[in-house]
Amino acid sequence: MTDSKNSSKRNSSKRNPVLSPREIVERAEAHPAAVPFLWLGSKKTQRNFIYIPLVGMIVFSILGFFYPVSKPAPWDFGFSYTVIAFFSYSFVVLSAWPLFRLLSRPENYYGEDDVDGKDGEGEDA
Amino acid sequence: MLELLASFSPAFILIAAGVLAGFIPTSKPGTFISKVLMIGAPALALVLINVIYYGQTENTYLGGQISFAGIELTTLRIDSLSIIWGYIFCFAGILNGIYGLHEKCKITDTSALIYTGAGVGAVFAGDLITLFMFWELLALSSVFIVWRGGPKSYPAGMRYLAMHILSGVLLLAGLVIYGRATGSYAFNNIGIDAPGGWLMLLAFGIKAGFPFLHNWIQDSYPRSSVTGTVILSVFTTKLAIYALARGFAGTEMLIYIGAVMTVFPIFFAVLENDLRKVLSYSLNNQLGFMVVGIGIGSQLALNGVAAHMVSHILYKSLLFMSIGAVLHRVGTAKASELGGLFRSMPYTAVFCMIGAAAISAVPLFAGFVSKAMIITAVFENGHLVVYAMLLFASAGVLEHSGIKVPYFTFFAHDSGKRVKEAPWNMLTAMGITAFLCIYLAIPGTYGGMQYLYGLLPNEVAGAAKYNPYTDYHVIFQMQLIMAAVFAFALLKRLGLYPPERRAEILDFDWTYRRLGLSLLKWGSAIWTRLGAVIIFVLRGMFANIGKRLYQVFSPAGALSEEAPTGIAVVLIAGMLSAALFIVYFL
Repeated sequence: MTDSKNSSKRNSSKRNPVLSPREIVERAEAHPAAVPFLWLGSKKTQRNFIYIPLVGMIVFSILGFFYPVSKPAPWDFGFSYTVIAFFSYSFVVLSAWPLFRLLSRPENYYGEDDVDGKDGEGEDA
Repeated sequence: MLELLASFSPAFILIAAGVLAGFIPTSKPGTFISKVLMIGAPALALVLINVIYYGQTENTYLGGQISFAGIELTTLRIDSLSIIWGYIFCFAGILNGIYGLHEKCKITDTSALIYTGAGVGAVFAGDLITLFMFWELLALSSVFIVWRGGPKSYPAGMRYLAMHILSGVLLLAGLVIYGRATGSYAFNNIGIDAPGGWLMLLAFGIKAGFPFLHNWIQDSYPRSSVTGTVILSVFTTKLAIYALARGFAGTEMLIYIGAVMTVFPIFFAVLENDLRKVLSYSLNNQLGFMVVGIGIGSQLALNGVAAHMVSHILYKSLLFMSIGAVLHRVGTAKASELGGLFRSMPYTAVFCMIGAAAISAVPLFAGFVSKAMIITAVFENGHLVVYAMLLFASAGVLEHSGIKVPYFTFFAHDSGKRVKEAPWNMLTAMGITAFLCIYLAIPGTYGGMQYLYGLLPNEVAGAAKYNPYTDYHVIFQMQLIMAAVFAFALLKRLGLYPPERRAEILDFDWTYRRLGLSLLKWGSAIWTRLGAVIIFVLRGMFANIGKRLYQVFSPAGALSEEAPTGIAVVLIAGMLSAALFIVYFL
């Protein structure tokens, strides 16, 4: 009897998980359509997101050997696009560090305000 | 009736609607009529183009002839190249009308309609003079849209106007030289070897955002209003692409210019914090793909240019619309102040991600079926270095528009901002655009790819017909996307992804906004000082001369003194000799 009570309690808690106060507030504030997807904002999801592109990259790299390019460029091989994209992307992002030092200036450098152009909007109809 | 309608360009309907919208009072019924015009006029123009073109048997329709100063102008030429631009311009006009329904602004409504009309008119121009007139109208009408961004957008608007007037002047000079040399003002293939060809290429290049001439895009677009930026992103640059495709297809130099255009904006986009500026750089990068295609000039490449232009207008509008919706609700488009907005604006987030997928050329999204045509044409023509640059740029596109824009706006860290979802009209416009971004990439009987490819300028049949959905193309494109996303996730995890920081990033416009301005100020200061010195010196000189003359001619002067007759004779003889000398030689 006690076991069945415990098991039904466990099932109901699975169906209606106990929410922390922060989660309750988050749900209350979120758009109704966004509530089922609030897990996207969790730290765990963001931490583990990397595995999706990793698996995808490996799968498509393997497939590249079975479906080679019909007219290959001199540098093409089974997973050439994986290599090109990884290094190109990393180069672009990492170059931002020295470039920012070289090219960044204070926001009012030209003596004009920041660029959010919302002022000119007409009033809502 | 059809004959009457076909006797003038549909652009005039849009321009007339714009002028009318300017006179309608801003009362509630007045605003309603204005909004009906905003959507109805482009819709009517779209129907007219369709009826005129498909209501006749020739491949090219010529109409709206006007005789002007002895020159025959053709204000309406619809052919296989111009029709696709005409369609998408009108359709974009409708979408812009829906997106801006919430806004009560007479200037935006009027300018947007005239701007759309000028774009349509220029695309259907059969001669260079008509093109020039609409070219100028495009610049003049659009600057008011830039200025709707508020007082802080005035300097950017002035710079925008200066660049576009310069473009107009170059076009005018080029067409006059061309017309005088060839005896024809017809707007067909021009080429750089034609008289005035260089000037016209430069004029088109300014509007197309060629390297070093591109800054007006990143300067003005992010400063306009929410609706204004969406409207601006459609017409000017794509008209320039049309003009290049019409006048300079197959010009090899454009391959290299386009390749540079695809690469350099990536590095600026990654640095920028303002997401509308990021999208403006991204726009520049996508224009580069089209310019490369025009440079190649093959049938496949030009089809790719036309297809990519359509895709680009759709997904770029969608991205600008979604960031505009965020700006409308949150009040900023700075990546450093956004994040976690999928909680408040889930529909906008989905539409933004569809736009991001389309620009990243994810299979089953619009960019995939269009960009590949250009890249394939480049490879088939043996330009391997440019091909490699385009692959590099494709990975870069993923960084700025595919990942950065949606990630920092809707995900990343939670900014704590809780706002309302975008207004219904914005969601409707975004929904239609998002649907098209997917529908136009779907192959088969029920998909929209056949309609997109059916509109392309060069008809290709049989084995030469382009099919983007080959197994290797899908697989290798997915390799590119997955590897880039993995690189992003890895760099984020390792803490190597640069944080979003507020700053002004220097670009080539520094040369005229800072260096040029400083030189001008310095020159002005020098002139002021020099002027004072010159005036002082001149005053002293004139005073001296006056004093000397007084000493000579005054009643007490040297000439009044008694002198021997001989000296007077010598003086008179000298003066007569001088007079004779002057008369004889001059």
